[in-house]
Amino acid sequence: MKYTPRQSESNVNVTPTSPLREFFVLTAALLGIMVGIYFLLGLTVDLVLPHISMGLENKMATLFVGSLTGKGADSEREQAVKSLITTMRDRCARVPYEFKIHVRTAAPVNAMAMPGGHIIVFTGLLDKVTSENELAFVLAHEMGHYAHRDHLRALGRGLIFMAISASLFGPDSSVSRMLAHALNITELSFSRMQETQADEFALETVNCFYGHAGGATDFFKKIPKAQDPGTFGHYFASHPENRRRISRLEDIIRSKGFKLAERKPLPEGIRRSTHQ
Amino acid sequence: MYDLLFFLALIVLGYGSGTIVEKRHYRSIQRREKAYLPLPAVTIRTVQYPEEDIKSAELVYGSAVISIDYFKRILAGLRNIFGGTVKSYESLIDRARREALLRMKEMAGDAAVIVNVRIETAAIGRRAHKRGVGCLEAIAYGTALTLKE
Repeated sequence: MKYTPRQSESNVNVTPTSPLREFFVLTAALLGIMVGIYFLLGLTVDLVLPHISMGLENKMATLFVGSLTGKGADSEREQAVKSLITTMRDRCARVPYEFKIHVRTAAPVNAMAMPGGHIIVFTGLLDKVTSENELAFVLAHEMGHYAHRDHLRALGRGLIFMAISASLFGPDSSVSRMLAHALNITELSFSRMQETQADEFALETVNCFYGHAGGATDFFKKIPKAQDPGTFGHYFASHPENRRRISRLEDIIRSKGFKLAERKPLPEGIRRSTHQ
Repeated sequence: MYDLLFFLALIVLGYGSGTIVEKRHYRSIQRREKAYLPLPAVTIRTVQYPEEDIKSAELVYGSAVISIDYFKRILAGLRNIFGGTVKSYESLIDRARREALLRMKEMAGDAAVIVNVRIETAAIGRRAHKRGVGCLEAIAYGTALTLKE
């Protein structure tokens, strides 16, 4: 048998394929599945939500709150803010939460609703507001999130989603990171509707509490004047654009015939900062 | 958002440079394979040359390390989810093996034949705590027989 060297014409070991096409088909399939899971998860969260008792929520809250509230406590201001929100709740809003206020010394003009009725208020917000009505609106807005249990809804879906993707592809795989990005974007638009609902809730509450809706839009009118959008965190990024928000609030004020009267000055305990 | 753009930029870069590098490498492989065609590399262990004709029998080897590009890595990651042939890795392994064989032939010099050829692969450059293939090494080795004039 004689050996005749020859070069093979085709390569059997490499499939002739279009990698770009494969990439797009697989990405589309993956995104389709993720979107499907996302909507299913949205349904499950809505189903599960009514069954989460206050006790369970408080248990969950301890997981988050400890790390967020530790530093920069300002008990005098906390008491003042707490008495404002508690009176408001007792008189006007039927929200089954015992609110716990945590004042944190930090620049963001912001307040956050955490599970279990923990509201984190940054001193940036307390220093920025000029009237009690204005602060009451922001607090009522957070109460609105509690009334609709948005804080759990957002948390529930986000949490389950990240858990699924992390266990499937590993916490720091590129695919997992890609999903996290996609998740954040959709999560943002999901929460905008909730913000609008919370705004409406806040307007009703403030109107009931003071007998008029004066000062409700003050907070949003202030925002465009400031230079650095970064300090507005939550209100700037995920809340509807301020102009649209203000005009929506003004529409409601007009259509419901709410009055606009003099604002109440900020209570002494809130205005005075023990740190300055 | 910036992370996402960065990620997409890496994919585009990986696809672009990966395609160019691969095409160039295949051209070079084909050219050199043609040049080395007269030197057979075979897996048989016995030859029909009379023993007194053989001048020397030496170990020759060649190894090549080929890295995967970012695009292929992501494509393989997607493939990992759905299953099936990981086509994006095929050309990587093919290139590594053929390059290793060519380097082995280069080392053989004026040998008449390389017998008992083996090819082995190893994944190297794996980062700690990270799954997946970083680069692939293929090593080819055999016994080069040089004949007397």
